[in-house]
Amino acid sequence: MNDQWIELNIGPQHPSMHGVLRLKAKLDGEIIRELEPVIGYLHRNAEKLCEMGFYCDNLIYFDRMDYVGAMNMEVGYLEAAEKILGVPPPDRAKWIRVIIAELSRIAAHLVWAGAYGLDLGMLTPFFYCFAEREKILTIFTEACGSRQETNYMSIGGVYQDFNDKIIQEIKDFLETFPKRLEEIYNLYVKNDVFLSRTKGIGVLSKEVAIAYGVTGPMLRASGVEYDVRRAEPYLFYDKVNFEIPISHKGDNLARFLVRFEEMRQSLRIIKQGLEKLPEGPYFNPKAKKSMMIRLRGDGEYYARTESSKGEFGVYIVADGGVKPYRVRVRSPTFKNLSILPVLSKDVMLADMIAISGSIDLVFGEIDR
Amino acid sequence: MVDIISESKGKDGRKIVLVSVENLIPFMKEMRTNGFDHLSLVTAVDKKDSIDVVYHLHSMERNEYVVVKVNTKNSVVPSVTGIWPSANWDEREQYDLVGVRFEGHPNMKRIFLPESWVGHPLRKDYDLSKVQYINMDEDGEDYVTFDAGDGW
Repeated sequence: MNDQWIELNIGPQHPSMHGVLRLKAKLDGEIIRELEPVIGYLHRNAEKLCEMGFYCDNLIYFDRMDYVGAMNMEVGYLEAAEKILGVPPPDRAKWIRVIIAELSRIAAHLVWAGAYGLDLGMLTPFFYCFAEREKILTIFTEACGSRQETNYMSIGGVYQDFNDKIIQEIKDFLETFPKRLEEIYNLYVKNDVFLSRTKGIGVLSKEVAIAYGVTGPMLRASGVEYDVRRAEPYLFYDKVNFEIPISHKGDNLARFLVRFEEMRQSLRIIKQGLEKLPEGPYFNPKAKKSMMIRLRGDGEYYARTESSKGEFGVYIVADGGVKPYRVRVRSPTFKNLSILPVLSKDVMLADMIAISGSIDLVFGEIDR
Repeated sequence: MVDIISESKGKDGRKIVLVSVENLIPFMKEMRTNGFDHLSLVTAVDKKDSIDVVYHLHSMERNEYVVVKVNTKNSVVPSVTGIWPSANWDEREQYDLVGVRFEGHPNMKRIFLPESWVGHPLRKDYDLSKVQYINMDEDGEDYVTFDAGDGW
């Protein structure tokens, strides 16, 4: 430690810290020499809570992990829990899950885009993003009566079937959203301030990203074509056509572009899902409500899914009882955040805010 | 080729390799040179009389998954942070919540809970009925008290 350096504490209560991130920085003038994230302010030990509840109860803790894209968390947990219990969902429920999870991915990326604009001093795109996100949340409300912590899916299917009104709402959304998305996109990429603060800042190389376990849009922006939906397809992701956007630049702008392209690809998936949605039951009769708490599981299963932030893994160890023996969650942002001290070494303090914003931090998931 | 104890297949179709604690580091180094460049997850499972530490290894290029397990009686395992930097925070988390000490880790401190917390919550014998209150002393260091009057 040089005696010219000053120690600066940033957060946990600070608007640009996306929740409760606390950073201990050592500054040389305005340049960061060392940075140490301090986390755990939102810790409630969901893994322990999961050991205390029945398999069907535990879904609510997963909603509260990545609360901006809750449906993807539910898919991740159920992928593991249903395999452990041996109650596969019927085809209609699987397609409904695909559609809902992709809508949720768009909603999560819109929150990120709006908040990232705020980080860099742009207020206007925030309102555009949230106005569009509200339409998705209206669809969720129609499907399950709740906006954010939805608890929509259940073991062996979904809680409620899609009716004609929901399908019409999704179709309307598919019609209006692409135009709005391009409007929002132009608000960013035609803004000189935005470009100068993202281009060439926070460059992450391929090798470092893999070594630190970075996944999701951050990894794809560094030039690795890795998406769990393609690498190990779950639900019906092997039956839909979509492309995996990648960029070789690895900077903040690349992450922005990858996320926007992902939203366009999600729209394609939703469109195909609606076309292929079959008639039939929407839950497995083996898992009807009176039977749910009697389901017993055995063995161990690690399921990985692609949430809006990256590879979301759920590892369940069962001992033959009605409650899981051990649940372990691989949260993507926890790994992505561990790259921040590396990325923000010898950069300006203001650029560090731009870098930490581009990681897409959600603290419900990091602290669990 | 490093000796392994047993090899089996899990419910998810992935190969599970059980190795001894002494052979863990040479075995992991061999896996790293075999192309397993991504350490996805480190998990510790409390089996009441011993602790299993489970490593999920992934190869980005070949898209291959291998699960490596070690069993430890005295809850001490060598750290793999030198091989995969991503193990750093994972091992800190498992130390915090399950109480496995990873030898050779550069910064073996709790990550979520305050440093003075008593016990490791994911142990099966952890006493949930005891409420711990966190407070801060004059130097800014946190300490834990079991009396609600002293904490906030």
